[in-house]
Amino acid sequence: MNNQPLLEAVNLSKRYEDGALAVNNVSFFVKPGEIFAMLGGNGAGKTTTINIFLNFIEPTSGEARINGISSHVEPLKAKQHVAFVSENVMLYTNFTAIQNLDYFVRLGGKTQYTKDDYRKVLLRVGLQEEAHNKKLKGFSKGMRQKCGIAVAILKDAPAILLDEPTSGLDPKSGFEFIQLLDSLRNEGKAILMSTHDIFRAKEIADTIGIMRQGNLVMQKSREELSGENLEQLYMNFMAGVYE
Amino acid sequence: MTKLIIEKELRDIIGSTKFAVTFSICSVLILLSFYIGAQNYRVAQAQYEASKSANVRQYEGLTDWMRVHSFKIFLPPQPIATLVSGVSNDIGRTIEVRGRGELRSQDSRYGDDPIFAMFRFLDLDFIFSIVLSLFAILFGYDAINGEKERGTLRLTFSNAVPRAEYITGKFVGSFLALTIPLLIPILIGTLFLPLFGISLSANEWSALALIVAAGLISIGVYLSLSLFVSAKTERSSTSFLLLLSIWILTVMIIPRLSVVGADLFVKVPNMDEINSQKSRFMSQIWNEDRTKLNGFTTTNKNDVQALMNEFNKYMQNLADEREKKYNEFAMRLNEDRYNRQMEQQQLALFFSGISPSALFSLASSEVAGTSLKLEQEYLAQSKEYQKEYAKFMKEKTGMNMGGFAMVFRKITDDNAEKPTTININEIPQFTFKPIEASGGIGPYAGYAGVLAAFNLLFFAGAFAAFKKYDVR
Repeated sequence: MNNQPLLEAVNLSKRYEDGALAVNNVSFFVKPGEIFAMLGGNGAGKTTTINIFLNFIEPTSGEARINGISSHVEPLKAKQHVAFVSENVMLYTNFTAIQNLDYFVRLGGKTQYTKDDYRKVLLRVGLQEEAHNKKLKGFSKGMRQKCGIAVAILKDAPAILLDEPTSGLDPKSGFEFIQLLDSLRNEGKAILMSTHDIFRAKEIADTIGIMRQGNLVMQKSREELSGENLEQLYMNFMAGVYE
Repeated sequence: MTKLIIEKELRDIIGSTKFAVTFSICSVLILLSFYIGAQNYRVAQAQYEASKSANVRQYEGLTDWMRVHSFKIFLPPQPIATLVSGVSNDIGRTIEVRGRGELRSQDSRYGDDPIFAMFRFLDLDFIFSIVLSLFAILFGYDAINGEKERGTLRLTFSNAVPRAEYITGKFVGSFLALTIPLLIPILIGTLFLPLFGISLSANEWSALALIVAAGLISIGVYLSLSLFVSAKTERSSTSFLLLLSIWILTVMIIPRLSVVGADLFVKVPNMDEINSQKSRFMSQIWNEDRTKLNGFTTTNKNDVQALMNEFNKYMQNLADEREKKYNEFAMRLNEDRYNRQMEQQQLALFFSGISPSALFSLASSEVAGTSLKLEQEYLAQSKEYQKEYAKFMKEKTGMNMGGFAMVFRKITDDNAEKPTTININEIPQFTFKPIEASGGIGPYAGYAGVLAAFNLLFFAGAFAAFKKYDVR
């Protein structure tokens, strides 16, 4: 497995027009087969960081790289190597789950799949077969989230960005999701996940970063964190105890 | 990529309730417009034939061409005018032709049935310029900001999707989705036309094709405008309100204001004013001629026939002189009014040119032969006919009848030889040559060109706005 970072933030900063500093000189990387969990409260800069990776916003300075490609210099090229699942996956409600998959997967550049492939992946993410050909109008958030993950899996990009992916999921779905992430990691995907969920982060992540007011105030590997009380650590960072 | 987005857009719209509603309304309206148009055409055709027969019948039994003071001609209904009526219902269909004098059309369809003038007819012009323009807005008002509100824009642009291809796909997909509820009923309607008793000539088929093409370009304008507004606003409710206001302005207000505005800049004397001046002038020269009657002298006092001929000749000369003076005067007034009217029309057309709906109406009426030119063309052809009629009547009576004239006529008594009746069918027939689609192609191309330019302008605006659009 190539051990070069697939996702990399290099001195990344973003200051909005109103002067607010959303991300301040943040640097980290995620290698293949790794999960990086970004913890932090609301407004900490987690989503802004992901948005920079997706070129939804441009950095004020620094660079976000996907597979070595700068996301704001060559956004189209960079996005070919990344899949994205948002906090609240929104798909076309007039389409069935399979139709949505077909559209977004082809949009992601993959045209080789059959309906059977779509069914298999939907079953893998835990969406019941009877829902596959139903329009998304009546889908719950969890069901839509599963469709979104299926899209990310089928895109088969080496890197995956997840913005609060377990938010609002019931415990069973949350557990299934973590298992899925584990299997994706085992396939060699580099995963950057923003979350509020300390316990799931601790359970799955190889590296945990804590963001506060745009700064990456802590970045520790699973090994470095072993024996530490992550919840206490997080609360202390949030309270600015170490400043 | 663009093809994929077009396919998705088509599938998304076709599966939506708004498409079902649009398709139903368009189908009903378009098929109804074809049916009503066909019915109107048949009624108008029957009326036309009846009027022609009645006109001939009133001269039946006449034995003297001198008693044929005038002959009515009629504007025949045109099949294509039933689909794009333009001004065809506003102008008079009947002209009473005399050997000399001005021609005026009367008996317009709206004059006969004022209720139709109040609410107008249901035709393709109405459907395209009012109904479909509104549907275009309904299809496009949330094309961009709606996707953002629904959250699908983030997922879309997390992929390597070029914005140019996305907005092009959006436009083309929505446009194609809008053409389905339009073209299917039009196709069915045209197939039904022969069943409704209407057969279109090759010229009229090309006119219909050009009308549909202009209609498509005009709804493209509203669609690209909707994309532009949708890409410039954050909320779909805002873009809807804004677009609805623009629709009201361009469809309802600008065409009306353009005429009022043109009237403010260029004053055209009204017909009553002109007629009053002409009438005063005619009375004046008639009074002058009456005094000239005293100057008539004859050497044929004992020969009644010769006296009559001499008097008629004298009167004819006076009438010719009078007509010449009157015509010069009337021509001056008419020309002045016509020039001002043209100036006013041009200004009104210029002002209305910012309304895509008005541009479509103008373009379609040009190729349908129902534009403002129709009345001018009808009058021009009537004037040509008047010459033919005058020549014929002069051959028959020795005089060019019409206007004021005093004529001595010999009435036979019962003992005389019974005169033969005249054959009124000998009068030259008036055949109106409709304005061909090719005749209106120049102005049509101009109007359609402006519509196409609007399309490009709004699409370029939408493209520029979307380039900077925050898709989060």
